[in-house]
Amino acid sequence: MKTYTYKKSVALFKRAAKVIPCGIYGHLSPAPLVPATDYPFYASRAKGSRFWDVDGNEFIDYMCAYGPMVLGYNHPKVDAAAQKQLKSGNCITSPAPIMVELAEYLVDLISIADWAFFAKNGGDVTSYAIMTARAATGRKKIVLVHGGYHGVAPWAQAPGHPGVLDEDQSTFLRVEWNDFEGLERLVNAHPGQIAGFMATPYHHPTFSDSVMPATGYWSKVEALCRKNGIVLIIDDVRCGFRLDMRGSNEYFGFKPDLACYCKAIANGYPISALVGTEALKTAAARVFYTGSYWFSAVPMAASLAALKELRRIDGPALMLSRGKKLLDGLVDIARSYGYTLRVSGAPSMPSVYITDDESLMLHQDWCSECTKRGVFFTSHHNWFVSTAHTDADIKKTWNVADEAFRVVRKKYGA
Amino acid sequence: MNTDLVKAHLNLNAVLVNLEDLVVYDEEMAALSKGWNLSIQFIVRNGPSAYIQFENGTCTVRRGRRKKASIILYFLSPSHLVRMFDGKAQPVLLKGFTKLGFLMKDFPKLTARLEHYLKPTPELLADKNYLAVNTRFTITTAAFAIGELGLVDPVAKMISSHIRNGVTLMKVKPEGPSAMLKFQDGKIEAAKGDFEKPMSAMLFRNLKVANDILNQKLDAFTAIATGDLMPRGQIGMIDSLSLLLDRIPLYLG
Repeated sequence: MKTYTYKKSVALFKRAAKVIPCGIYGHLSPAPLVPATDYPFYASRAKGSRFWDVDGNEFIDYMCAYGPMVLGYNHPKVDAAAQKQLKSGNCITSPAPIMVELAEYLVDLISIADWAFFAKNGGDVTSYAIMTARAATGRKKIVLVHGGYHGVAPWAQAPGHPGVLDEDQSTFLRVEWNDFEGLERLVNAHPGQIAGFMATPYHHPTFSDSVMPATGYWSKVEALCRKNGIVLIIDDVRCGFRLDMRGSNEYFGFKPDLACYCKAIANGYPISALVGTEALKTAAARVFYTGSYWFSAVPMAASLAALKELRRIDGPALMLSRGKKLLDGLVDIARSYGYTLRVSGAPSMPSVYITDDESLMLHQDWCSECTKRGVFFTSHHNWFVSTAHTDADIKKTWNVADEAFRVVRKKYGA
Repeated sequence: MNTDLVKAHLNLNAVLVNLEDLVVYDEEMAALSKGWNLSIQFIVRNGPSAYIQFENGTCTVRRGRRKKASIILYFLSPSHLVRMFDGKAQPVLLKGFTKLGFLMKDFPKLTARLEHYLKPTPELLADKNYLAVNTRFTITTAAFAIGELGLVDPVAKMISSHIRNGVTLMKVKPEGPSAMLKFQDGKIEAAKGDFEKPMSAMLFRNLKVANDILNQKLDAFTAIATGDLMPRGQIGMIDSLSLLLDRIPLYLG
């Protein structure tokens, strides 16, 4: 197979680095792509499960814009709804009726939702959830899971990151994932002080395997929170609508008080949502929280169309089954070369690592060799599967993966 | 937190260690120290201790105390040591009165030369040899400073407590200089030199790139994209290393 080169991406990046801090910042930064020089930096267009970079290279995309793409890029129904709304108006002095329609739809769709609040990004609503929990309880402290990702607000970043103060962390406590006893100890050590416990439905940290909740973990956490008046907040930004349309809590069988959504909620249009129970509606209303574009109607129309389509086709089930098919095949191919491909997390957003080299250099080389042949795999973040990934995509992925394994075996041996 | 305590640790155990290479890579200093056979013990009350051993043309700097040091320099506090490094105080000489000539005349030539290499200017860095030595010292200082921060800086302790076990290598390609950090159960041990199979590596394309990144003149994110900086292996370790590196300028200006 021919391998890709990225001349135009590199040239564009050099221009960018002169006028944009670190060229491409945040989660799209090339920094976690290893080696970065084997990856494209800029996309020129996208359609379905694929995108094309500025050099004209075509990729089957298993990052799905890091989650937002769930039905395929440029989905006709979603884009048509967005276009229709755009003709009527987008960012206007008063909200558009679509806002009410979308809120009603979410209340109907998501099991715990009695109300919905809209913003732009996942971090907007995780911060709002914390403010709401504090407003509702009159307490300060929030418990988070160590290594959990809830956005980039100072409170959500680990101590030591540039721009983050020690004081930003002063009201946050951390516990290890799945450590119910640890959480219980924290609650007992801070009686009447903890406003909320926030976690993702299952643990999907960057740089390591995902970890599912232990049997009984969530039910015990739920009971502990109820008993102690602690608001249970689920950050469903990444998992949301890839496990269960009713909320990922339903997949694991528990009921949070607040749930945060973004990414898959609108198939790439900028919108996020916090939903919650009736008991917290007044507290949510008391928190003043807003943004210039949070009432934009186009993303709301896109979201409504995307959610309806996902529900119609049972998107989560489709992604889970396609993900499983993809991964089963990859595991078999790896085995045929004498390698072990370890898969963790849900098949619709799997964490995948070759375990034969603890340093992961072999794994990084395999992912980059796949990418250079048109299958975009990152080596240190969970992948994403969409409903647009077809059997033909999966077959092509297996072929590319096979050749990439051949390349790395030559370099590293079996 | 006692900032002077952290500074004392870094000055004593991350800066002075460069004397080892100074007498190797600087011909004048090699000639100067060739005949030295003595040891200098630094003791800081409520702070760190370290010693320098000169023997057969080599220099060894280690943490802690050594038996029968030729010279013992005592500091009343970490702040006292920091002021000495800033040229604003003198140590208390507890032992080595017969070596006063060495302390007053010879040893300062060595430390002045070290200071010369550790305080670069754009003009000095334009010199290839200076760049090579300065970069070597910068990498060594960074590695050993991280080791010390892991002991006395609360944020660094917290960061290192979650770093997986293994060796992280910092190396200028293709031949070095290089230094490594061994992370083990939250503890950090620094060493100079190469390591064949590290758990993670921060590889610099050349001396200039290493110098610019470690002196915060070039941001690492941009350098990674251009291939000037190549992180490999367990990227979580590199991510944490980057946070630890960011803490050094808080104490070493």
